[in-house]
Amino acid sequence: MAQIPNLDNAPLNLTSLREQSQKELLNILKNIRGKKCLVIDPKLGSSLSSIIQTSLLKEHGVELRHLSADPLQTDCIKVVFLVRSQLDLMKFICSNVHDDVSKGLQREYFVYFVPRRTVVCEKILEEENVYNLMTIGEYPLYIVPLDEDVLSFELDLAYKESQVDGDTSSLWHIAKAIHKLEFSFGVIPNVRAKGKGSVRVADILNRMQAEEPVNSPDMVVPEINTLILLDREVDMVTPMLSQLTYEGLLDECLHVNNGSVELDASIMGLQQEGKKIKVPLNSSDKLFKEIRDLNFEVVVQTQSVSELKDFVKKLNSLPEMTRHINLAQHLSTFTSKPAFLGQLDMEHTIVEAQSYDICFEYIEELIHKQEPLVNVLRLLILFSITSSGLPKKQFDYLRRELLHSYGFEHMATLNNLEKAGLLRKQESKSNWLTIKRALQLVVEDTDTANPNDIAYVFSGYAPLSIRLVQHAVRSGWRPIEEILKLLPGPHSETRRGRFSSSPSYDTLQASANIDKVADGRRSLVLVVFIGGITFAEISALRFLSAQVCQICCMKGWHMI
Amino acid sequence: MANVSVAAEWQLLGDRYYRKPELYHPMQWRHIDLSRNKVACAPFGGPVALIRDDSKIVQLYSESALRKLRLFNSAGVSLSDVVWKNPGGRLIGLSWSDDHTLVCIVQDGTVYRYNVHAELIEPNLSILGHDYFDENVVECVFWGNGVVCITETCKVFAVPDFKTRTVVRLADPPPPPIELELELELPHCVAVIEPQFTLSGNVEVLLAIGDGVVMVEEDEVQALPVPPGDGPLQKMVVSGNGRFVAAFTHDGRLAVYSTRFEKMFEYQCESALPPEQLAWCGLDSVLLYWDDMLLMVGPSDEPVRYLYDEPIVLVPECDGVRILTNTSMEFLQLVPNSTVSIFKIGSTSPAALLYDALDHFDRRSAKADENLRLIRSSLPEAVEACVDAAGHEFDVSRQRTLLRAASYGQAFCSNFQRDRIQEMCKTLRVLNAVRNPAIGIPLSIQQYKLLTPAVLIGRLINAHQHLLALRISEYLGMNQEVVIMHWACSKITASLAIPDAALLEILLDKLRLCKGISYAAVSAHADKNGRRKLAAMLIEHEPRSSKQVPLLLSIGEEDTALMKATESGDTDLVYLVLFHIWQKKQPLEFFGMIQARMLARDLFITYARCYKHEFLKDFFLSNGQLQEVAFLLWKESWAIGKNPMASKGSPLHGPRIKLIEKAHSLFSETKEHTFESKAAEEHAKLIRMQHELEVTTKQAIFVDSSISDTIRTCIVLGNHRAAMKVKTEFKVSEKRWYWLKVFALATIRDWDALEKFSKEKRPPIGYRPFVEACIEADEKGEALKYIPKLADPRERAESYARIGMAKEAADAASQAKDGELLGRLKLTFAQNAAASSIFDTLRDRLSFQGVS
Repeated sequence: MAQIPNLDNAPLNLTSLREQSQKELLNILKNIRGKKCLVIDPKLGSSLSSIIQTSLLKEHGVELRHLSADPLQTDCIKVVFLVRSQLDLMKFICSNVHDDVSKGLQREYFVYFVPRRTVVCEKILEEENVYNLMTIGEYPLYIVPLDEDVLSFELDLAYKESQVDGDTSSLWHIAKAIHKLEFSFGVIPNVRAKGKGSVRVADILNRMQAEEPVNSPDMVVPEINTLILLDREVDMVTPMLSQLTYEGLLDECLHVNNGSVELDASIMGLQQEGKKIKVPLNSSDKLFKEIRDLNFEVVVQTQSVSELKDFVKKLNSLPEMTRHINLAQHLSTFTSKPAFLGQLDMEHTIVEAQSYDICFEYIEELIHKQEPLVNVLRLLILFSITSSGLPKKQFDYLRRELLHSYGFEHMATLNNLEKAGLLRKQESKSNWLTIKRALQLVVEDTDTANPNDIAYVFSGYAPLSIRLVQHAVRSGWRPIEEILKLLPGPHSETRRGRFSSSPSYDTLQASANIDKVADGRRSLVLVVFIGGITFAEISALRFLSAQVCQICCMKGWHMI
Repeated sequence: MANVSVAAEWQLLGDRYYRKPELYHPMQWRHIDLSRNKVACAPFGGPVALIRDDSKIVQLYSESALRKLRLFNSAGVSLSDVVWKNPGGRLIGLSWSDDHTLVCIVQDGTVYRYNVHAELIEPNLSILGHDYFDENVVECVFWGNGVVCITETCKVFAVPDFKTRTVVRLADPPPPPIELELELELPHCVAVIEPQFTLSGNVEVLLAIGDGVVMVEEDEVQALPVPPGDGPLQKMVVSGNGRFVAAFTHDGRLAVYSTRFEKMFEYQCESALPPEQLAWCGLDSVLLYWDDMLLMVGPSDEPVRYLYDEPIVLVPECDGVRILTNTSMEFLQLVPNSTVSIFKIGSTSPAALLYDALDHFDRRSAKADENLRLIRSSLPEAVEACVDAAGHEFDVSRQRTLLRAASYGQAFCSNFQRDRIQEMCKTLRVLNAVRNPAIGIPLSIQQYKLLTPAVLIGRLINAHQHLLALRISEYLGMNQEVVIMHWACSKITASLAIPDAALLEILLDKLRLCKGISYAAVSAHADKNGRRKLAAMLIEHEPRSSKQVPLLLSIGEEDTALMKATESGDTDLVYLVLFHIWQKKQPLEFFGMIQARMLARDLFITYARCYKHEFLKDFFLSNGQLQEVAFLLWKESWAIGKNPMASKGSPLHGPRIKLIEKAHSLFSETKEHTFESKAAEEHAKLIRMQHELEVTTKQAIFVDSSISDTIRTCIVLGNHRAAMKVKTEFKVSEKRWYWLKVFALATIRDWDALEKFSKEKRPPIGYRPFVEACIEADEKGEALKYIPKLADPRERAESYARIGMAKEAADAASQAKDGELLGRLKLTFAQNAAASSIFDTLRDRLSFQGVS
C-alpha cells in the first residue's frame, strides 16, 4: 500500500515538485558521508513520509529517530537533526546534545532547518552553548503535495501563532511558497484575497516579485490563472461543524494525518489483536477517489444496495472494496449514536441562529454532563460566532462552568480563544443572519445523492468559505463587496505580471476570461486557506471544480 | 600582388612561418632604458612595471636618487608611479599576479603588493617570518598567483596563493656530499612547475644543483637524472603547458627535456655563454636572447635570428612571445594556418582565391567571377578561413579586407553559418577597442578566448576604465552589474569633496541602469569610507529587505531597520533586528522601542515565553500589563504541578498556591479581569481543599482534578458530606449538582440511592438525567422507573425507542403530534416489521389530523 500519493493526474506538474524536494533531501544526506542518525521532529516525519520512502533513506545509510526530550539512542557518530524552525524544538536538540556531552560522547552534529534557518533558533542554540558544536544548514521544503489536487504548507500551528501570538512568520512562509510555485508555473496574474493575513500574503508576494522577479517569458501563459487567498478567520463557522463527507467523517472520528489514518487492525478485519495499522487515503485508491467526497449517507447506501456488485465489477478491486466497507462500518458505529445526531441537530439549529435559548441550554447541559471538551468548545465557538459573542453575564457563567467542570488549567485555552475572537463577549449585534441570507448558506432540500450545490457536504449548510471562493472565481469580489465588509479583515484584488501594464483590462473582462482560456485548457485556480482547511471544504471545492474549473487548495489545521 | 608583401615579413622556421607584427610603435613613454631597470610585464597584454635596478651600477641623469616604481600599460602610457621607500634591502624580484597585483619581494623576504594604481595593499606578507629572520632571499620564481623563493642557505619557501597568503616551507635540497667539504652551493638556476600541472596539485621546484637537477616538493626531494654531459644546467624554463623544460647546458647547447628530463631535442649554439633570457614561444620554439641577438630555435636545424640594437624583454604568452623594447612592443607568433593559406606566396587554396576574387571585384575585373567558379565547392571553408584569419590580424584595415572577403564569399554559399562573421566582428571590435594605446591591452584572439570576456572586463574595471568596460559588457550582452557596482564604489572613494546629496544623485543616475543591483553593497562601501549619511540614503533604494536590514543595523539606524523588517513581513529579519537592539540597549529602552511595534513586540513575547520568562515579566510590568504577568505566574504553577517531584509530597503545594494567589492579586488590580481574579482565587481554594481531602481519604487522587470531578469522586467514594461541602463552597448550581450526582451514582450502580435521590425533591432539570444514566448503564428496568416521569412526550418517545419499546415510543410520539419524529423512529425500528407498521398507521392518522 503506497502511502506516497500518485500525482500523475494532477493539474500541475507536482511530481517534479516532489522529486525536487526528494533530491534536495538526498543531497543533504549524501554530503554527510557514511552512516548517520537522522533525527526528525515527529510532525515533519509525517510530512516526509508523503515525499520519500523510508527505504530510500535507509539506502543512504540513515538510521531514523524521532526528536524528543529523551536522550538519543544511537551508535552513529554523525547525528543529523532535521527540524522545523520552531522554538520549542530547539530545547530538545539542546537537551540531546547536552546529554551526549555529559556522557562524554563525541559526535558530529548537523542541524538542518526546514524550510530555512532562522536567527531566533540559532540564537537559542547559541545561548545553550551548543551552536559551536554543529553544522547548520537548511532544507527548503515549503510545500508538500498531499494529493493530486491538494498541497500543504505544513504549518500546523499557523492559526494559533498568528491569531493568538501575533507571530506572522507563517504568512511570510506561505508567500514564499507561492513565490516558489511561481518560479515553476509562472506569475499568477489574478490575486484575490480576503482577510488580514491573506491581504498581507498578497502584499508580501508582490514585494518578493519586486525583489526577486520570476522571469516568465512573455509568450508563455501562466499555468495558474487565479490565486484566491482566504483567511481561516473569515469563516470559523465551517470548521466548527461536523464534516459529513466520507473523508470528512474519517477525519472527525479517526483523524486523517498526511493522507492516512491509523486504527486498530481488528477493525480492518485482520487477526492481529491490538496492533495499529496505517491505512493510506489518497487518490491513488480509485474507489476512494470516487467516494471520498460523497456525503456519508450516500456512501452507506451505495454499499448496502446491489450497486455494490456493479462497483466491484467496475473496479475489479476487491481489497479496496473490503477496506472501505470495513472503514464505513466502523464509522457507522459513531454516526448511529444519538449523541452524534443530537450534535448535528444542534449545529444546524445554531447555524440557523433562530433559537438562542435552546442552544444555550443545550451547551450548558453538555458542560454539566462533562462531554468531551473539544465537542463542547466547537459548539460554543459556533454559538459565539453566529451570535457575535455572548452577553457578558452568560459569557462569564459558561466560562465558570467550563472551568469548574474541566479544570482551571483550561483558563489558558479560554484566554487564547478570546484573543483569537472565537469565544468572546457580545459587543455588537450579530450580522450572521444577513450573511447567511445573502450568501444562501442554508439550503433547504439538499439532495445528498445528486447534489447540485456545495451545501451537500454538510447536508444543508453551504460552507461560507467555499461560497466566497465560488463568488471569487465566478465574478471577483466586486458584486459581493457589501457582504465582504461584514466579514472580518480587509479584502483586495490585484492583477500582476504583464497584464497589469494594460489599463484597459478591467475586472469584468478578466472574469469573462476566466472560464475559457484561449487554448481550450481550463484555467486553473489556486485556492489557499491561510489557517487550514477541512476535508469537507476540499470536497466542496472538488465539487466546484467539476462545475467551474480546476482548483488546488492547501493545508491542514489544528488549534486547541 | 598584395599578398606577397604580407608573406614577405614572415620567417620560415622548419616548415612553419613565424611573424612579428608590431603592436605599438613608438611606445608612449619617453626616455626609458630597459637595461637600467628591473621590468615586470603581466601576460595577456597586462601592465608593465619598471623600477631602477639596484643591482646594477647606472648613471643618474637629471633624476632623483630615490627610485620610483613606475607602472605603464603595454603601450607605454603611464598608469601611475610611486617612490620606492620600502625597507628590507635589495629588491629581488617583482611580478604581476593573475589579478594584476604587482608582487615585489625584497631581500629579507618581505612581500610588498601594489595594485595597478601603485597603491600599496596592506598588510605586507613576510615569507621568512621570525624563524629565519637572519636569512636573505637570493632568488625568486613567480607563476600565476604564487612564488617560490630560495634563500642564501638554499632553503626553499613557497607562497602557493597570494590570496590565501600562507607560506609553505618546502623540503631542503640535499647538501653536497660531505667528503668534498664544499660550501653550500646555490643552484645554478631554478624553474617551477605550476601546481595545475603537477600530479600532487602542489608546486614542484626544479633546482639545477651540481651536474644534476633536483625536484623539491612540499615534503619530498627527488633527484632527476639529467643525461650525462648536459649538466650543470645554466638556465631552465618550463613550457606553457608544464610538460617540457628548455635548458641551456654548460657547453652552449639548448636542450629540451620532458619534465622528467628525458631529452627530446638539442641544438648547439654558437656561444657557450648562457643567454640573458630564455623563453618558450608557444610550444613549438624556444627563444634565446643574448646582447643584441634574439635566436629562435625550432625543431628543425636552422634557427631564425633577429637583431636588436636595444635591450629587449621577452614576455611569454600562451600563443607566442611579446617583445618589449625601449621603443616598441612586438608580438612574435606562429602564423595561423588560415593566414598562411591566404597569404602564402603562390597559395592557390580556396581562401587565397577568395581573397583574390575580392581584389578583382573591387577593381571591377571579371576575374572575380572566374575565381569564385574555381572554388565553388569549397567556398564555405574559404569563407571560414578568411573569418579566422581576420581574427588573428592586428591591423585593422587588413581585418576589414579579410572580413569583406568573407562576406563576399558568403553571399555565394547558402549553407554557411551566418552569425560566424557577425560574431567575429563583435570580437574584433572588442579587441580593437582594448588594443587602443590609451587602454593598451594588446590581446590576441586566442589570448582573449583563454582569458574570457568576464576577466577582461574585470581587468578594465581594475584599471578604472569603467566606461569601456560598461560598453563592452553591454555590447556582449553581459551583466553590467559588476561594472556599475565597481564604478559606484570607486566613485565614492574618489569623491570625498562632493556633498552627499549631489553624490547620491550621480550614483543613482548610473545605478538605475542595472535592474536588481545591490544598493546594499554600495551603501556598505560608503559606510566603510566614513560616509554614513550617504550610506543611509543609498540603502533607502535597496529593494531587498534581507540585504537592507542588516546594513541599516550596521550603520546604527535601528529604528529604520525595525520598520523595514516589519514591512517586509519576514519575521526572521524582525528577529535579527530585535536581538541586535536587545543586545545594544538597556532593557527599558528596548522595551520602549518595541512597545509601539506590534509585530516586533509579539515576536519578542513569543520568544521570551519559551526562553526568557523572567525578562518577559519585566517587560509586562514595565508597560503595566499586570494580567499578563498573572497569566505567566498561573502557568508556572501548572508547570510545578506537572513536575512529578512536586505532586507527591504535600508541602510542595505551598509554592503553587502562593503563585496562584499572587496571580489572583495581580488580576484584581484591574477592573477588566475580575473573572480571572475570581477563577484564580477559586483555584487556590480548590487545591487546598483537594489537599485536605487527600489527607483525610489517604488517596492521592484529588489534586488537579476539576471541581466537578472532585464532587464525583467524593460521591463515588461514598463521602456525601464532602461532596456537599465542595458544592456549597464553590456555589455549584443545582442543575450541575444533579447531573453530577446522578452520573456518579450510576457509575457505582447504586440504583437505590439514585431512586432515593430522585425523590428528595422535584429535580430542577426533570428526570432526563436519571433516564440517560440508566440507559447508558444498560439498566432498562431502572430507566422505566423514570421515563414516564419525563414531561416532554417527545423525550419520552425517544427514550422508549432507545430501550427498544416500539409501542410505547409510538404512543408518546403520537401524543407529541410530531410526524417527523415518528418517521425517524420508524427508521430506527426498520428491521422490526410489526413495529414499523405501528408507526405508519400512527403517522397516517397524524397527517390526517393535520389536514382536518
